Amino acid sequence: MQKYRLAATAILLAMLAAFPFLEPEVYYLSFMFSVFMYVILASSWNFIGGYAGYLSFGHAAFFGIGAFATAKAASMLELSPLLTILASIPAGALAALVALIVGYPCLKIRGPYFSVVTICFAFVVELTVKNIEFLGGAEGIYLKFMDIPEKLSRSILYEVMLLLMIVTLGVAWWLGRSRLGAGLKAIRSDEEVAETMGIPTAKIKIQAFILSAFFPGIAGGLFAYYLTYIHADVVFNINISILIVLMAMFGGGGTWLGPIIGAVILTVVNEGLSTFAQAEIARIIYGALFIVVTIFMPNGIIDFFRKKGGG
Amino acid sequence: MDAVLIIQSLISGIMMGMVYALLSVGFSLTWGVMHVIHISHAAFGLLGAYLAYSLLEYFGMDPVVSAAVSVPLLFIVACGVYQLLIKPITKAKEVIVASMILTFGLAIILENVMVLIWKADPRVLTPTYASGALIVGPFYFQYPHLVGFGLSIVGITAIYLFLKKTYTGMAVRAAWQQPEAAQLYGVNLYRISMITFALAVSTAGAGGISLALLNSFEPHSHNLWLIYLFLVVIVGGVGNVIGTAIAGLLIGVITGLAMAFLPYQWVNLVTFGLLMIFLIFRPHGLFKQGV
Amino acid sequence: MKGKRVKRFSLFMIIAVLCGLMLTVPTAVIGAGKPIVIGGSLPLTGEFAETGLWIERGMRYWAEEINAKGGLLGRPVEFKIYDDQSNVGKAVTFAEKAITVDKVDLLFGGYPGTAARAVMPVAEKHKVVYVSMGGHMKSFQQGYTYSFGAPPLMGEWWYEGFFQWLATIPANQRPTRAAVYTINNPVGLSLQDSINRWTKKLNIKIVINEKYNSPLSDATSLIVKAKQMNCDILFSNGFFPDGVTTIKAAHALDYNPKAIVQGIGSVVPAWVKELGADGDFVFSGTVLHGMLNYPGNDKLNAYVKKKYKLDIYPLYFGFGYAWMQTLEQGVTGAKSLNQTKIRDWLKTHKVTTIAGPMTFDKKGLPAPINFATQIINGKVELIFPKNIRTKEPVYPKPAWKK
Repeated sequence: MQKYRLAATAILLAMLAAFPFLEPEVYYLSFMFSVFMYVILASSWNFIGGYAGYLSFGHAAFFGIGAFATAKAASMLELSPLLTILASIPAGALAALVALIVGYPCLKIRGPYFSVVTICFAFVVELTVKNIEFLGGAEGIYLKFMDIPEKLSRSILYEVMLLLMIVTLGVAWWLGRSRLGAGLKAIRSDEEVAETMGIPTAKIKIQAFILSAFFPGIAGGLFAYYLTYIHADVVFNINISILIVLMAMFGGGGTWLGPIIGAVILTVVNEGLSTFAQAEIARIIYGALFIVVTIFMPNGIIDFFRKKGGG
Repeated sequence: MDAVLIIQSLISGIMMGMVYALLSVGFSLTWGVMHVIHISHAAFGLLGAYLAYSLLEYFGMDPVVSAAVSVPLLFIVACGVYQLLIKPITKAKEVIVASMILTFGLAIILENVMVLIWKADPRVLTPTYASGALIVGPFYFQYPHLVGFGLSIVGITAIYLFLKKTYTGMAVRAAWQQPEAAQLYGVNLYRISMITFALAVSTAGAGGISLALLNSFEPHSHNLWLIYLFLVVIVGGVGNVIGTAIAGLLIGVITGLAMAFLPYQWVNLVTFGLLMIFLIFRPHGLFKQGV
Repeated sequence: MKGKRVKRFSLFMIIAVLCGLMLTVPTAVIGAGKPIVIGGSLPLTGEFAETGLWIERGMRYWAEEINAKGGLLGRPVEFKIYDDQSNVGKAVTFAEKAITVDKVDLLFGGYPGTAARAVMPVAEKHKVVYVSMGGHMKSFQQGYTYSFGAPPLMGEWWYEGFFQWLATIPANQRPTRAAVYTINNPVGLSLQDSINRWTKKLNIKIVINEKYNSPLSDATSLIVKAKQMNCDILFSNGFFPDGVTTIKAAHALDYNPKAIVQGIGSVVPAWVKELGADGDFVFSGTVLHGMLNYPGNDKLNAYVKKKYKLDIYPLYFGFGYAWMQTLEQGVTGAKSLNQTKIRDWLKTHKVTTIAGPMTFDKKGLPAPINFATQIINGKVELIFPKNIRTKEPVYPKPAWKK
């Protein structure tokens, strides 16, 4: 069974990787790019939010830090497009560093109090960027075009984001089976007990937080290049933070598959609705989806299917 | 620094903070008593503001008077919402998470229903005294701020007295502190939860009216209000009525002082930064235990 | 356990199929005689919905009109409008969808400035003409050749008309001390441009010059400061919510400068409708106005009067209409839907819109257009230049009614 599943996953990923070679229209590449992005964001958030139960409502901060760091590096050092894409990796590292600094005091705070600290943190970062011209200011940053056909450029971004998604999901897979993951789950069920069991809670929380900031940081860098013009209002938007949490929880927090399911369903449904229905009605249907799913699957989609399937 | 500026700025800040407190107090209660994080709380507040707007426009009804109409109305609506939507998820493993997702959906629905009814245009609540002020020496007390402030004091006091003095209120407190024991004594938890939820939503309505007296509003404004809610409730301590009021005041004072001393560009940043530091040093808010 | 695995796997496959389904959505087949499809996205829900909806109405009115006349190049036109939910990322994806999947014949302009800033490069990369308000001067300095601001909403020009009028006032009656409060975003920053240039020229001292970040929950201290520093002209460079908060505080605190200048919140119909007398006497600027003596304006006014019970069409209704006018003339001028031909035609010919005739420079901009406006008795009146004046300006601003 294990082999079977692995093969299926490999085939699916290979299909996804081969997709650009079918020369699809640019939009499909862009749309899948955003699906991958949200899978990365929701899955990384899951490291700290799902496994450890520390609901961060400020994850857009890391996404935005990655975006602005990449854009700033690109415009200041006049990087070539390829180097700009690579620059998103140190940008992700910067996001991880910020996570380390902020996480140290903040992860001592528990429950909803932690959530609110992360909201405040995201605002502080956003406003700092807006107020300091060097960081991008209220004007935002423009990036240069790639000097290649648009389809090729979007294909490259697609493949890079896909690769990042595979890496993120690989790490998530590992985490779910590692001692770190087990420790985080213990924290989620009862932090005091976990501590008495000798789990270095403070340390592993920071580790999870750093990991969960690193990948969104890189994704932010890629997104900056995708948008070509970035503004603090766009990448630090609190709606992104909230959406990430909902995606992960919607699918099922603390599981590997949950955030993937949540991110894919919500992105696809939202896009589909805005295509086929009148704007306000589309939003109302979208809202109703949350209600219906929660009433019938109050513990997330994954939990629901596990119960039904596994009994 | 100039004293008039500081005091004037503080006056406005405090009144504003108190209005935030009224908007937040119900949010704090549902969270504390029922473990329901009610994301659409602010959207119901906005609904109160829109009702007040329409009642003023068509019947010339003062916003304070219209509160007497919309508060009971919202109470009834909220009972229905509880029975239909909230009650089914109280058996979830994590009610907090389930309630958050569900009410997030409800907030989106409410927002767009408001767009369909009232259009997307921004609104300003303008009773006859909208731009007037009570002048005491060098200080100005803007009437709409005073009215919002008054409404907030009355609302919060009412909630406080209800919880402390009435039988139902005591049952609510008991249900929160010792649910099993309360049930043994014949407290119907569902009924209590429904009342708590409905009461919370009604105060949101009053809070929405008060806030509408201060700022303009649009169907999407509830997203912004929600952030205020979270801040006030967390600083005050979840479930704590007095804590919420004090937290509102505290945030008002911080904003007021920041507005007086700092370049405006840094006001919001400093406010959020200070709240962050505050929570790092007081990780349970002002008061640990609630109600 | 086995069942669970199968379930999980099938769920995985469902998602894969879902993704696959997205690809099979048929693309519209467009040929001669078939309607000309004009696509793109607008913020129809969320934060910018109000303005987005007005732009949509303006565009739809244009389509109604041109279809009644027999269409564009003899073909009827129709819109394919996506709701980007006030989300810039979505605006970009939808622009790409319109161009590459729907293969629309023409792209329409978006809102707000941040979205336009992000969609302009998309249009450039795909070589599609994009007529919009743009994202102020910075966005037109990026070397894009397919973007046109026709007319643009140009913060840098917004107070030009006002200052030209102010220069006609005898020097001893002009204000001398200015308080400038600016929202910290691209619009606000671009509004500062003309203030900095003109205050120097007119010898007005900027006593207070501060930025604030949205939301501005209270403006009391802004007004107290302006009052204490004896500022006799107030620039409130912000959106509707912060603009309203500022004006209401100015009234409540009885602050009476000689002039209050408010861009860009006072241009929405809600300003007059919601604020009533408090919104009066505020100066601003515009590039479009229903009372301008250009062909088409009367018609638009009559239409909004009938349909929305407004005396004069709202600015963004006019924008939506005017952008389509420009696009229309580009198409009929080039006699083709070839984007590069349309662009080249627009770069070399004059177009006539409800904002007047304009020719475009390298950046895709017309010569600066700006008319000074003042709200008088709940109406947006044109006050300068003199030849288009609809009402004498009220200056200095009368004291607030108690």
